[in-house]
Amino acid sequence: MSTETLIGTGINVFTSDVHAVGRIRFLDSPEEVLDFIDGPDVDQTVVISRGGTTTFMSPALMAGVAGLITLQGAPESHLGILSREFSIPCVMSTAFTDGIQTARGETIPADGSTVRLDITGDKGQVFLVSE
Amino acid sequence: MSEADDFMKFVEKYLAEVPGGPAGDQEMRRRDPSPFVDTTAADIRPDKLTDEQIQSWFDYMSWNLWELIATRSTEGESGLIPRQEYETLSFVQQWSVNPDAMRLITDKVGVDGLVELGRVPRREIGTKVNHIRNYASALMAMLGRGVCVSLEQLDPTVRRDDIQDCIQFARRTWHGTWGDGPGLASGRGFQLPVLEDDVLQPLLAAAKPFEDDEERTFFRRFNGTTELFGFLMHYDTRLGMGDTGPYPLPGGGFALIRDHFLHETGFEWSHIGEGLPYAVTEVLCFKPDPIQLTINDIGTTFTKPQDYLKSLDRVAVFARDTIDTPMSGIRPVGHDEMKKIVTTCQAGVLSMYKILAKLSRDEKIRNGVRMYSHEFMRPLAYRAGAWDEILANGFDDLAPATQEAWPILTGGRAAEILAPVFLLGKGFPPLKSTAVV
Repeated sequence: MSTETLIGTGINVFTSDVHAVGRIRFLDSPEEVLDFIDGPDVDQTVVISRGGTTTFMSPALMAGVAGLITLQGAPESHLGILSREFSIPCVMSTAFTDGIQTARGETIPADGSTVRLDITGDKGQVFLVSE
Repeated sequence: MSEADDFMKFVEKYLAEVPGGPAGDQEMRRRDPSPFVDTTAADIRPDKLTDEQIQSWFDYMSWNLWELIATRSTEGESGLIPRQEYETLSFVQQWSVNPDAMRLITDKVGVDGLVELGRVPRREIGTKVNHIRNYASALMAMLGRGVCVSLEQLDPTVRRDDIQDCIQFARRTWHGTWGDGPGLASGRGFQLPVLEDDVLQPLLAAAKPFEDDEERTFFRRFNGTTELFGFLMHYDTRLGMGDTGPYPLPGGGFALIRDHFLHETGFEWSHIGEGLPYAVTEVLCFKPDPIQLTINDIGTTFTKPQDYLKSLDRVAVFARDTIDTPMSGIRPVGHDEMKKIVTTCQAGVLSMYKILAKLSRDEKIRNGVRMYSHEFMRPLAYRAGAWDEILANGFDDLAPATQEAWPILTGGRAAEILAPVFLLGKGFPPLKSTAVV
């Protein structure tokens, strides 16, 4: 039986009863983005990017990731608009309370951990799913 | 109160005083009942403006720009394209080259010709001679002036003729689109229903309901992919797209008409659009669901609830094959061609991404300055038959002011300069010195 722990809260781009569940992958460079979309389980991955602009994450958007989390940005940003158009659940400017540290000292869930994005309300919530 | 709290006050309200949206427009009009962003058939004709008229235009545009930008100000870093840097430099470049280009166009077509250019968005789809360019043509140059003043490279009291020529150039096109009254979407309840009925009705008549969920899902993918491709083609900006509407439908509901520009020529990366039409236009008809909708002056739609595409009822897609295709040559796009367009756009996005990943930061900034400067001048100039002459006159040559600003604006100060220009009303320094003598 799995348990869920709230580990992050941000701004929801659009509301939906459909939750995104997937494994976390933090993408920090264009090379990582290109490697990622050539890899397996793209549609079962929730990707994390730092900024809220479209271009950096464009291959991931197009490849149909399960969900998007950003550490910066607002729903009116380019990435917010595009995630809405693609209907990909997206939580922006997310602050995590638990996880690992990036090279820049940001807290994010570790790659490979399973999360669920709850986008039913104005606030987007990220739950860590433990088996 | 922290510095961040102080900053947020200026994000939430213009100068921490005036809200966004229609309420903000009302407040600006309470302060200045006849802002010079409104036009009349008489006041677009003079070449000379008073200081009061210029200041009135500055004051309203300063709020309008804040309204457009404030909510995007926390967009964060790109990771791929230094957009703030190239946009800021392009403003400076456009302040250097646009006034001469605008005078050349005005000399060629006259005041009435500019009004006719402003009428194009009423009569055509799939064209960049649209409200977005008309809205921004003078604004870009004025922001360059504001940046130069912020960098202490320009005395705000000089080049008055350039300011008035830019403002009147824009206002004449605005009058062509709207006639007497507000020249901007922000003065018209944040709506852009520009198409005339005899142009609109055949488009609406072509819209068909989805046969099943699979077709609906595919259309959503078509819309997202062509929009994303437009962003990439236009270097991470919204210049590849533009909405007009809402247009009320009989029996309730509304329609949006949406352009995505897919094959702009003249860029080093234009080949990513090979095989695609110059533009596709989506006719989006929505059910009479309770959707609050606004469209801003750069043709971006925002809705509550946000996922407005759930209420999509009927659609049609049209193509304009080249920039020179006349309206009579606009053709419907069928399902098979839509699938091909999606495939080509997907490949193009990846190609462009790989191109961008290999370019140096400096190369990307240089490309961006050129793209951004072209985009706000070329469509109008090309339609006026003036583009080749404008290019030959050195439009692409980096102006001394741009070269002077380059190291400062690419050295990490772009965000520092842009925040006051966009958010704190510093983009439009008054013509007259406010210093006490």
